[in-house]
Order: sequence, then C-alpha cells, then structure tokens
Amino acid sequence: MSGIDAVKKVVETETQARRIVDEAATKAQKVISETREQAERIRQEAVASAQGRREGILREAKEKAEAEARQSDQETERILDTYRKLSEERKAAAVSKAVALILNG
Amino acid sequence: MSESLEKLQNRILSDARLKAEETIKEAQAKAQQTLEEARRRAQKESEEIIAKAKVEAENVRRSILSSKVRVNRLRILDEKNRIVQDIIHTVEDQLSSIARTDQFENTAQRFVAEAVKAVESDQPIVRIGFRDATKKNLDGMSRVLPKGGKLVIDEKPIDDFGGVIATDPEGRVVFNNTFKSRLERLDNQLLTLIASTVFSE
Repeated sequence: MSGIDAVKKVVETETQARRIVDEAATKAQKVISETREQAERIRQEAVASAQGRREGILREAKEKAEAEARQSDQETERILDTYRKLSEERKAAAVSKAVALILNG
Repeated sequence: MSESLEKLQNRILSDARLKAEETIKEAQAKAQQTLEEARRRAQKESEEIIAKAKVEAENVRRSILSSKVRVNRLRILDEKNRIVQDIIHTVEDQLSSIARTDQFENTAQRFVAEAVKAVESDQPIVRIGFRDATKKNLDGMSRVLPKGGKLVIDEKPIDDFGGVIATDPEGRVVFNNTFKSRLERLDNQLLTLIASTVFSE
C-alpha cells in the first residue's frame, strides 16, 4: 500500500469516527429533547391532577358549609318557634308587669 | 505498515465509539436528572395548589356560614323586637284606657302629686288629660294641689296616651308626667323587664 492510500484510509476512518461521534451527539440531543417534553408532561399531569383535587376540595367545602347553613336555618326556626310560643304564654304577664312599672316606676 | 495502519484505524474508531458512548451516557444522566427535577417541581407545585385550595375552601366555608349566621341572628333579633313591640303596643293600649279602671283616680292623683313636687312651685299649673276620663273622676285631683295651684282639664288625652304636665306660673319649669314621657324615661327598664319576662329560661 502506498503512502497516499494509507493517508486516504486514515482520512476515511476519521470521517467514519466523526460520523459515529456526530450520531451520538444527535442521539444525545434527542434524548435530552424528549426528556424535556416528558418533564413538561409530568408537570402538566401533576398540575391537572392537583387542579382536579382542588375542585373536589372546594366542592366538598361548599357542600359541607351549605349543609351547616341548612342546619343553622333549622336551629333558627326552632328558636323562632320557641319565642313565639313563649310570647303567647307570657305576654299577659309581661304586659301586666310593664303596666305596673309605668304606673309605679 | 499495513498492520500499524489497521491498528491506527481501530484506535480512531475505538476512541470515537468511546466518546459516543460517553456522550450518550452524559445525555442519559442529564435526562434522568431532568426527570427527577421535573417530578420534584411537579410535586411541589401540586402541594402548593392543594394547600391554596384548602385555604380557599376554608374561606368559602366561612363566607357561606358567616353570611347565614348573620342573617339568622338578624331574623331572631327581628322576631324578638317584633314580640317586644307588640307587648309595648298592648301596654300603651292598656295605659290609654286606664280611666275605665278602678285604679285611675289613685294613679292620676299620684301623677299630679309627682308633677307638682317636681316643679317646686306654690302656684303650679297642672294640665291633665286622659282618654275617657270624666269630670267626675278628675274632680279629686284638686285635693293634691297646693292652695295656689290651678288644674286644667284637657278633654283629649295629652301626648296620645294621656297624663299630666305641670309647670310653674311663668312656664319656666315643666315636668311632663304623661304616659308617653314615663314610657320614654323607663325605656331601658321596660325593655329589660319585657325581655326577661318573655325570653328567660
């Protein structure tokens, strides 16, 4: 083999070597690029899941508060009924005491 | 020559493969790190969303409940006030028609005596006016006046519900002893008395 042929061979081999390195770099870039996309998907899925839980928490709190509000309404009705009954039973006594206070006070 | 060339070629290719392998490994390591970081950040972001949601939920709950509790407290206060006002109207009605009862003369005389005492005059002028009061049952009022005193009988009840107003002759000192005035003077006691009678356990 002549010296020129040997140089050609070396040049070819270096070209092949550069291709191997370039292909690896491209592949590495692809891995990193795909990973970034995957990372963004992970974030989006986690946020979507958290938003879903947030909606659930808010819905549950609202339902619970509305149930407590209904309870408050029932308790209020009970108190109002009690006052109305007391008023009927004790009105005469209250009027009598009040008249006495104004007359004698 | 040929053998050493082949060795050189192999060496060049071997170095290239090694470098390629390192590049891939570095990329994979970086990818792994990126994913772990992404998972950590996603976890943190989720936790922040949930924590905010819990605070928001508590605020929603408090807002709904406090508004309801406020409305219901007002309803209870309104009802108590309605009951008390109803009783006060009945009291006013009874006071207005006191002239028809047997306690009228004593009461009217006491009102006159209190008013006369309050103006501290030897010649008080006393106006008296009750609904349905007759001249007959007002005649006795003169007995509680001092000698120089003057009784003026109004045909209509004074201040809506009736009562007595005394002044000195110059009209500088006035004592209002009408039911309306007594109701106003005893307002706090009256409300407390009615509320404690009706609403206490």
